[in-house]
Amino acid sequence: MQKKIKSHFSESLHKFKPLMKELLDNLLTRYEYISILSQESRGNVYRVSKSGISIADSVLLAGKGTVIKIYDKKGFAEYSFNSFDKEFIKTIPSLIEDRLVPVDKFITKCINHNVYPVPHEEKITFSKASSMIIDPETLDDNVIIEKLTSIHNKGLNYDSRILDCTVCFQYMHTDKFFLSANKDLEQSLVWSTGFVQPVASSGRETHYYHQPVSGLAGAEILDDMMKHVAPSCDNVLKLISSTAITPGEYDVICMPDVTGMIAHEAFGHGVEMDMFVKDRALARKYIGKRVASDIVTMHDKASDEIEAGSYFFDDEGTISSDTLIIKDGILINGINDIQTAMKLNVTPTGNGRRESYERKAYTRMTNTYFEPGNNSIDDMIASVKDGILLENASCGMEDPKNWGIQCMVNMAREIKDGKLTGKVYSPVVLSGYVPDLLQSITMISDDFHLSGSGCCGKGYKEWVKVSDGGAAIKARVKLS
Amino acid sequence: MIQKILHLLKENNIRTYLINTDVEESHELFFIKKNLDMKRMKNVSKYELTIFNDFEKDNVKMRGSATCQIYPDMSYEDIDSKIKSAYYAASFATNPYYPLPGPEESSGYNNSSDFVTEDAIRIMTEALFADDNSSDCFINSAELFVSKHTHCTISSEGVNVSYSYNTIEGEFVAQCISSQDVETYSDFYCETPDASALREKVTEVLKITRDRSIATKINTTGKIKAIISGQYVYDLLGFYLNRSSASMIYPKYSDFKLNEQVQNDNITGDSLNISLTARYPYSSEGIAMKDLPLLKDGILNNIHGSSRFCHYLNVKPTGVYTDIKVTPGTISINEMKKGKYLHIVNFSDFQMDALSGRFGGEFRLAYYCDGETVIPVTGGSVSGSILELSDNIHLSSETQKIKGYEGPLAISIENISF
Repeated sequence: MQKKIKSHFSESLHKFKPLMKELLDNLLTRYEYISILSQESRGNVYRVSKSGISIADSVLLAGKGTVIKIYDKKGFAEYSFNSFDKEFIKTIPSLIEDRLVPVDKFITKCINHNVYPVPHEEKITFSKASSMIIDPETLDDNVIIEKLTSIHNKGLNYDSRILDCTVCFQYMHTDKFFLSANKDLEQSLVWSTGFVQPVASSGRETHYYHQPVSGLAGAEILDDMMKHVAPSCDNVLKLISSTAITPGEYDVICMPDVTGMIAHEAFGHGVEMDMFVKDRALARKYIGKRVASDIVTMHDKASDEIEAGSYFFDDEGTISSDTLIIKDGILINGINDIQTAMKLNVTPTGNGRRESYERKAYTRMTNTYFEPGNNSIDDMIASVKDGILLENASCGMEDPKNWGIQCMVNMAREIKDGKLTGKVYSPVVLSGYVPDLLQSITMISDDFHLSGSGCCGKGYKEWVKVSDGGAAIKARVKLS
Repeated sequence: MIQKILHLLKENNIRTYLINTDVEESHELFFIKKNLDMKRMKNVSKYELTIFNDFEKDNVKMRGSATCQIYPDMSYEDIDSKIKSAYYAASFATNPYYPLPGPEESSGYNNSSDFVTEDAIRIMTEALFADDNSSDCFINSAELFVSKHTHCTISSEGVNVSYSYNTIEGEFVAQCISSQDVETYSDFYCETPDASALREKVTEVLKITRDRSIATKINTTGKIKAIISGQYVYDLLGFYLNRSSASMIYPKYSDFKLNEQVQNDNITGDSLNISLTARYPYSSEGIAMKDLPLLKDGILNNIHGSSRFCHYLNVKPTGVYTDIKVTPGTISINEMKKGKYLHIVNFSDFQMDALSGRFGGEFRLAYYCDGETVIPVTGGSVSGSILELSDNIHLSSETQKIKGYEGPLAISIENISF
């Protein structure tokens, strides 16, 4: 077992904190509730492909700045900025009073206000950090590029039909402090992700196979990438001779990455309770009712260091938790942010997340997964007479209002009489009605795998780091 | 800050560099029904520095680069350390040499709208809710972002340009509870307050949502003429924008070649005429962006891209384009609606894969005609390959203007699987 080290909190954020405490005290003389979240997120993206080698600071989710949340007797307002200049910070109270608070008066003609009570917070102070084995910030760029280049070369030389093998490694070190009248919280987190993506062509059509790796971890994930080269290349070579599937209903085995997409897109978004407030989620009417077969249990869990979606407190200063969403097929609870919890009069679950200090907090998922069951994947395949094994999820879209599901899957392998035939379809659209899909689950595998290589959007924006997955499932779905 | 960066670049003897800065002030409003739920304001400045390192490897001239973000609070020591790290990292990003562009005159591009932010907030909020008067079909929630930007690009090759641009954008969800309880997501974008365009969009989306509430699940499958309208026309035709990018052609992900027919060798429907349109006056490298022909009757007229990939392909660097203008067709949408068809107006998530050319998605609302009667339908999906189907497409004479696209409102494609 390799020794783990803790992520270090930013010195410059520490230096800035007294200035923000001063600003907090100043603003608390004018407003009943104030919170301040300051963030520094930094990291690098290393990429090696036939197009070349690139090294760049991460842009998405990165940045250094502050957001102030104000309660102005009726509701909430926020001011985001990234100047740390002392003279500028002195002007913030008047900027808020003169330019932000009065915005309402321009829209009185058609608009009222949502009214909230003053937030109530328990007194709490802590400083926590995540663990890793190799701190990527201490690694020489050359070491990372050399490792990626050897993975890239292995992929490129695997078969003459392989056009390229893009290899990418990214890490993000995020430090945050949260201040309010009752809270003084600090957290330091490092996550790393990467992928191996061979591309092959059969003429005009080009296909890829995207194999991700990830973790609330450091550069140790680089060691996992090499082992994925050969399987990924084998898969992309199968994809170039893939055909379109005949649309219809199929018995399917969803591998954990596809299960994760179903957990996340089909159900997870539907239990984001800010959608309950807007009357945009059907799940609100199903709390306490059956939504899945009785072997299904699902969580959203940020509180343990299990994957890239983990943290100690959310972007509104609420301590993270493990929310049991479905237990034995019954919908138990949703996830929420603070304003949502206030509106619905429920306990905050610690899911108020922002893309960065520049953006509003919404209810967001963290690590969302199905608990494992008792079946082996081999037994699950053997149980299918005529069906499809789905793997390599590419993207999906939520529909909380109507519980529709649409997930794109890159690779669909034919199963006949309990065996994989070698025939491959691509791409495949998995669609249907979420409760039908979840209630059709008859087998769940005994393994467990989370993947946190991607980001989750709310609609078409507001990206946050999440993971999803769990076990493989056997279900019946519509494919086209 | 820029002076600080330039001073340190000189001290570190960095000969080749590129600086891009963006200063943004924005106001953001978040509505639930007709209630303001949150108001936000933002003042942020961003500085992105790319450092180049030239060297020889196996007697071949190479140019490495590394890009870093400079934060406004960084001291001289912090920036110095960033520059040194980036220069070191650039020595490992070994790519064949390519020149950076020098200073260019702007080609007459003028997109600098101006308005008073508070006026824009009032005008667009009023427009958003002006036609939201029904108790069973209404705006469920909305977001409005009014932003003013100043962008600046400076390089070691003499580029020193700056320009301002403003954006008003947002999204709204329409809900109809009259029959089935359904909703439709939509977004909007303009550069000056455009109340009439937003009102028109709200009215259209409310109508679509009302139709979706009475739509029935489609049970028929097979091949059909699909008429696809709205944003998805851009998603489909954006295939040609992506495939003609130098960054796709250089690694052979795209087989497009200049002056060759890239639409289809056997066009029996409309030939595609597409122009690249400049959203900003300069690219991030300082190349003066101008409108350029992309496809003329399906033949590729230009490859677009950054200086690096264009140099590798031996074509003139144009900057990277995201916007296109497509010449409309000659037939109306009504004329497209002859015989059996499926007119899709709203997808869950339409996907167009630029590598394989395959597209598809589940539709939330379509109008299905069996040759005689038209009914609103939902829950089906369509799929196809633009490489195979581009021989017989038709573009509508009606047009639309949305973010990134100006051109036909609808496209009809024969033989789509559904």
